[in-house]
Amino acid sequence: MTGLRKRVTIGFLSIVCLLFFSGMVSLVELSRLSHDTDDILRANKRSIELAREMLDAAHGHNVALIRLAVFGDRSYDSLCRASMERLETALVVAQHEALEKSFLDSLAFATTELRVLTDNYLAFGIAGRDERGARGAADPVGVRWYNEEYESLYGYLTAAVKSYMTSTQSSLAPRAEQMKKNAYRAVTPVLISLAVMIAIVLMLYYFMSIYCVDPILRMNKSLGDWLAFRMPFAVKGDLKDEMLELKEKIDALISLSKQNKA
Amino acid sequence: MRVDVVLRYIGMVMLFIAGFMLLSAGISWLGGMDSSFYPLLLAALLTALLGAFPLIFVEKKEQLSNKEGFCIVVGSWLVACAVGMFPYLIWGGEFTLVNALFESVSGFTTTGATVLTDVEALPRGMQFWRIASTWIGGMGVVMFALVILPSMGRSKMTLSNVELSTLAKDNYRYRTQIIVQILLVVYLGLTVLATLSLKLAGMDWFDAVCHGMSASATSGFSTRNASVAYYNSPLIDTILIFVMATAGIHFGLIYATVTGKRNNIFRSEVTRWYIGMLLAGGIVIAVSLYAADLYPTLSAAFRYGLFQFVSLTTTTGFATADTNLWTPLAVVVLIFGSLVSASAGSTSGGIKINRLLLAGKMMRVRLKQQQHPNAVIRIRMDGVVQETELLHAVMTFIVAYLVLILLGTVFATVCGADLTTAFSGAVAMIGNVGPGFGAVGSMNNYATLPGALKVFDALLMLLGRLEIFGLIQLFFMKWWR
Repeated sequence: MTGLRKRVTIGFLSIVCLLFFSGMVSLVELSRLSHDTDDILRANKRSIELAREMLDAAHGHNVALIRLAVFGDRSYDSLCRASMERLETALVVAQHEALEKSFLDSLAFATTELRVLTDNYLAFGIAGRDERGARGAADPVGVRWYNEEYESLYGYLTAAVKSYMTSTQSSLAPRAEQMKKNAYRAVTPVLISLAVMIAIVLMLYYFMSIYCVDPILRMNKSLGDWLAFRMPFAVKGDLKDEMLELKEKIDALISLSKQNKA
Repeated sequence: MRVDVVLRYIGMVMLFIAGFMLLSAGISWLGGMDSSFYPLLLAALLTALLGAFPLIFVEKKEQLSNKEGFCIVVGSWLVACAVGMFPYLIWGGEFTLVNALFESVSGFTTTGATVLTDVEALPRGMQFWRIASTWIGGMGVVMFALVILPSMGRSKMTLSNVELSTLAKDNYRYRTQIIVQILLVVYLGLTVLATLSLKLAGMDWFDAVCHGMSASATSGFSTRNASVAYYNSPLIDTILIFVMATAGIHFGLIYATVTGKRNNIFRSEVTRWYIGMLLAGGIVIAVSLYAADLYPTLSAAFRYGLFQFVSLTTTTGFATADTNLWTPLAVVVLIFGSLVSASAGSTSGGIKINRLLLAGKMMRVRLKQQQHPNAVIRIRMDGVVQETELLHAVMTFIVAYLVLILLGTVFATVCGADLTTAFSGAVAMIGNVGPGFGAVGSMNNYATLPGALKVFDALLMLLGRLEIFGLIQLFFMKWWR
């Protein structure tokens, strides 16, 4: 490749590379942004699912204990145990997946308390209440136990689940705020690439002007002056590569023409 | 003026900067590829592309004119500040556009003022880039511009006219290439010496390298929020006092002293005044602090007082104490040190003690001429008669410097800063010192300043680094013809 062609080709290739580069950067940054958005949405959805699962389990547990304690209906024994296990499983999953585990401390404490209370009741408090359950009458001892011991703990547990749900939402807000910054960051490299590209295009324009366009214009004018008025062919400025060769060839032609005339 | 030639050499400076960005990315990679790796790599690629482009078109030129040399230096500084923002902007965090501009200008002008509220939160690669920018700014940009000019052997100091003050230039008696070698040897030698000493004093390698580079460039950027106070080590303080004080001496004189030449530090009038001023300032502050019961012993007061005075006078800006809590006398002495600063021919900014000495001598001559109107009294420095043109230039510079401080103070107060913050901030910015007093004290930062003031301060830093007229001249279109 000759000098002039090489320079122009490299110049344009640089611009193409930069375009490709900024395009790639945009893609990488946008895919990262998209990934982050997905993460936030997934975490949001998951926390709501887990909170719902815990509330369902707590509700099932509550219903089972009302039947057991108040009406002495032992058929709800299995529902009570199953609900407790559901609650604990959901809690373990939440603890495993949570980004901010401190939000789950009060919930874990309430669940442990509930487990102890339930186990104690199932082991010692249920004996001798078969008949009443069969008759369908309320047991005053069971009612008192439910009102005094279980209900407050149940209220504490459900409050803790709701608190977990809202705190997860509030922890998502800073992440969303972070996403806002991330969006700026995603755009910044592209903007910088564009600024660099503008600078390169301006430089290319300048170099093309001073190394290609201006010499041709000057040679054209000088050659015109020679043809029209026989003024000496003199091109000012620093010429190089093919432009210098062209000027030298024109010089040679003019000399040859002068010799022929002589 | 050949703009294409200017672009070629600025491009080479940019390639040099891109090399340091790549080095910072390498440090990030070695440290487990922290979050600064990608921004630094990206910034290095873009800077390299921008720098390499003019090299494709413009061939090497044998000779440069004074104007071209001037434009290369000033242009390099401006472009360096612009591309220096890239890593900060891409990385994000606390770096908004204005903050990135401030931090980049502060780095390349070796001011060392920061807008970061938590420097330690920066990943290592980014911390190294901050320090590297100050190290490049300290001497690298100009030195590289000189190194890449192989044809400068026979020409005079075309480029150094701008960076080194005219006073410093006159002290040289060497050709440009020799000067480049001298600057390189002294600068690298001082950096290596500082790094090794700090490592031996107990810093880890990373901190030692960063503080060594920062002290040699008289920048003051630190890797710690509490600056040098974090280490609370008398040995580290002593090493840094020595390095900062040495970096404030004319590099040619340091070289002459090390190589056993006749024209050395001990024979230099300016250096004698400089060392004397450092000691006197340290002692006055120490006595003031001890008398006010701020420190239990006189030696402790001297340790902190001398460190802060040397730090501000050499325009470094490291801190071992909160100077906002010091006595008014200590504060005044520190501001005086920030105004006077160190010797010409060093990496420090400010008015420079050479100019102050000459101004003092001019005042003495004026008094004598009042008594003896017909007397012809010449002003000498180190036994050399100083030309009238130079003396006028000195006075013009001092007046322009003070006017800019006034402008900076007024603008800062308009932006809502209190008088102490406004005045000391203006002194710190144009002198490339870094910390001031009040809201921009030694243990504070510039984060709370409004955006407009940060941009204005960035301009003051550039004006100070390019000796005021260096930058102003660029904007006079007649000069370009």
